[in-house]
Amino acid sequence: MKTESLLFLFFRRMRVPLIVLISAYAIATLGFTLMPGVDDEGNPWRMSMLEAFYVVSYTGSTIGFGEVPYEFTPAQRMWTMVSIYLTVIAWLFSIGSIISLMQDPIYRSALRRARQSRGVRAMNQPFYLVCGYGDTGRIMVGALTSRGHPVVVVDKNREKIETLEVEDLGASVTSFGMDAQKPDNLVEAGLRNRWCAGVIAVTGSDKTNLKVAISAKLLNHSVVVHARAHSESATENMRSFETDYVVNPVEEYVRRMELAITRPDLFRLYHWISSGPGARLVPPREVPVGNWIVCGFTQVGRAVAELLERQGMTVTVVDPNPEGPGRPDGTVAGRGTEAETLTEARVESAVGIVAATSDDADNLSILITARHLNPDLFLATLENGYSTHALFRAAEPDFVGQPSQVIAGYMLCRVSSSLVEPFLSSLLERDNDFARDLLARLLKHQSDDSPEFSGGRISARRAPAIARAIEAGVEVPVSTLLRNPRQRDARLPLEVVLLRRDEEDILCPGDDVALELGDRILLAGRNRAARRVRAALENDRILEYLLVGEDRRNGWVWRQKAVSSERAS
Amino acid sequence: MNMGKVVFGFFVLLALTLNFGFFLGDIDNPDHHNVYELFAALVVGLIATVLKFGERSHLGAVLLASSLVVDLQLIAAALVWAVAVHVTEVGLTPVVMASIVSLSGGALLANLLSVVLLTLETAGLSR
Repeated sequence: MKTESLLFLFFRRMRVPLIVLISAYAIATLGFTLMPGVDDEGNPWRMSMLEAFYVVSYTGSTIGFGEVPYEFTPAQRMWTMVSIYLTVIAWLFSIGSIISLMQDPIYRSALRRARQSRGVRAMNQPFYLVCGYGDTGRIMVGALTSRGHPVVVVDKNREKIETLEVEDLGASVTSFGMDAQKPDNLVEAGLRNRWCAGVIAVTGSDKTNLKVAISAKLLNHSVVVHARAHSESATENMRSFETDYVVNPVEEYVRRMELAITRPDLFRLYHWISSGPGARLVPPREVPVGNWIVCGFTQVGRAVAELLERQGMTVTVVDPNPEGPGRPDGTVAGRGTEAETLTEARVESAVGIVAATSDDADNLSILITARHLNPDLFLATLENGYSTHALFRAAEPDFVGQPSQVIAGYMLCRVSSSLVEPFLSSLLERDNDFARDLLARLLKHQSDDSPEFSGGRISARRAPAIARAIEAGVEVPVSTLLRNPRQRDARLPLEVVLLRRDEEDILCPGDDVALELGDRILLAGRNRAARRVRAALENDRILEYLLVGEDRRNGWVWRQKAVSSERAS
Repeated sequence: MNMGKVVFGFFVLLALTLNFGFFLGDIDNPDHHNVYELFAALVVGLIATVLKFGERSHLGAVLLASSLVVDLQLIAAALVWAVAVHVTEVGLTPVVMASIVSLSGGALLANLLSVVLLTLETAGLSR
């Protein structure tokens, strides 16, 4: 709703009170001019219009200066009484109407929405549009605002996002309580705004996410779309129209599990990078080979069972419905929460168990019962909701999949730069030793917090100093970027993890690779360290110092000092 | 028949007739122009303005604008009257009266426009 129409709505609702007020004043004023009075010398006298309006004005507003200019006659006093009741009641009515209008929830929500649309239109820095404020949405909003990006949140459930207005976040958050499925609502939330950097579709429904992704792709070509999909068909559908990033939590869970089995160090690195804010490096733990138990033949359970079998393990499935479609032979009936079922599934001889039911309480119970029966089991679990997170942490499983955290982590690391995706996909093709080396290099810069990514381009606009040096024929190796601008022998807590040159990606280029114009680079390292590279990109003197090692001290103070030292010698 | 339309038409028309009644007569003769008629014209004009609030059509906007002009002109006339009689105490000289009546003449024009627009709208409606 537009602001102007809100003003008209206000006046339309105030029509009757205003007319009552005008009429009351008019009648009271008219009456005073007609009432017979006497002046101080006893001559008959009647008020003029001005005097009458003056008396009514201070009477109606309950100020009450008394009887001016002359003492009133009984007739005038009678009329004063009439006007007092008339005007005061008219005022009460008008003010009451204004207050009830202000408290009208429809009017207030219209007012609020108009204010928010205005806020979105006035946005002047890149912002993200987050559709859906569930567990995933909450993590995304928290992480994006802590990086300083304004966020617009759209969720159908108004109560969920109302708390957003009072939360203290690092950047401005605008929340709309509306249905993200409707393209008009997305446009109102700033989809076509030129500062809209990305759309993040993380509602609980695949259908809504799909619609958001389609609308975003059609209405704004330059926007980057991240979408979450649970079913395989929705995943395929989104990928078919070039949604930039589609994350399927089941796929991602299985991918991580597979990495944990085949390349444990790569798993640790990958999990550390793409698990969102507060991700911690998991301790190394070999996934044992042998008999496995999978509890719950859900979408995740089925995928994990297939994966384990592919990796050459024997799998016993425990499911309350052993005759259901797709269940392998020998499926044990039960939920897995009881010791009997687990014993029947030969828990004593098993090496690992996967609790993949869709109920978190069951999953926890399975973990605890299984550990009790066989303390050496490798415990993997699925954590469906975020509300029981503390319990899962206390249960200390060896491998946890938390869908909302997995999704948020997947999207968040890719939000920082478009080079993260090629970096991760080439990383996943490498072997475990490579990952171990890279992990060791990154761990030199930080102990626990996951590395922050930052992308850059070697061009005349983004890196003028380096561009000039390259044009002058100077060779600028990659290591120049990583030297500390204050002290060239020290190293910034950063690594160049990807260099893209002519559509070709070089993973972790060596320190002596020379930069070329048009190169794009991806840095990973300690938070906010990437800002310090800027000096080398923009300042010729700092670049020269970093390249050659000499500080050309051409400032006035330094020249004076040089002169005096010459004299001394 | 719509009671709302009757009330609306009534006030718009009454604003015009009262205004015309005040305007009628020699321009500089105070005897021809009654203060109560000016007061009534102003009050009815204000009510007509409030009634026009919230009309979202293009015609409604022009009606509201003309009504605001009426209010402005009549308030100016009333102010001139009050200042001349009570503040500076020059009284209703022909010069003062002429300026009051000419201000109300401007308001009359705007009121006339309101009525013409209203008539046009009604005519357009029946077609």
